[in-house]
Amino acid sequence: MGIFDKLSGKKEEKQRPDFSDVQSGNSSTAREPVTPSPTPIPDAKPTGTTGQGQTYTVVAGDSLSKIAKRYYGDASKWPRIHEANRDQITNPDLIHPGQQLKIPDA
Amino acid sequence: MRQSRRIPLSVCLALLMMSAACNRGGADNTGTASNTALRVTDVTLGRAVGGDKAITDRTETFQPNDTIYASVATEGSASSATLRARWTFEDGQVVDESTRTIASNNRERTEFHISKPNGWPAGKYKLEVFLDDRSVETKNFEVRAN
Repeated sequence: MGIFDKLSGKKEEKQRPDFSDVQSGNSSTAREPVTPSPTPIPDAKPTGTTGQGQTYTVVAGDSLSKIAKRYYGDASKWPRIHEANRDQITNPDLIHPGQQLKIPDA
Repeated sequence: MRQSRRIPLSVCLALLMMSAACNRGGADNTGTASNTALRVTDVTLGRAVGGDKAITDRTETFQPNDTIYASVATEGSASSATLRARWTFEDGQVVDESTRTIASNNRERTEFHISKPNGWPAGKYKLEVFLDDRSVETKNFEVRAN
């Protein structure tokens, strides 16, 4: 059987690495287009509440300051959201659609 | 008949002066880079980027636990353009692909990064950068085991 496998080349197949856990992101000095992207941006809505505030699901085009403006009426309060989500935001310039952020109470 | 075809000298001078005035005004409006089409001018790889999205720790040889950054410099104008970074491993296996849509009328930089909590397999990798689905730059890099 082993000889057969060797002859048929089955053992020679190189195992392909698994890249399913790769994490990626991007950011830019350029602004985002004024016109919406081809994918419609869903309405930004709170996705739930916790004992210590709400949770919010990031959508395309969001930034911490935009979210701060939405919840606190003041974009400069974005560090509050950053602090509450230190476990998942290492770079405050980088948040990704689908991320669930904790929004501390104002 | 022949005399009626002549244009008076004063009219010619007036036309010349008007033409010169128009050209000066035009130069003021068109002398910026904002009228050039957006293009990718540079792609660099490294382990970190600064606030300006430029690479601060440039390398093309990484270690398995590194986060790999690519900084894409663009120049020119576009109301909406899509940059795409496709990262592949050795035989073309796609590692990751991400896009960023930008609006630009100046020199800008866009960074793409990838990380792998379980560590990158050692080997040769390739980054291909697309601008509006057109391949514009390719960079090869390597991950070496510790």
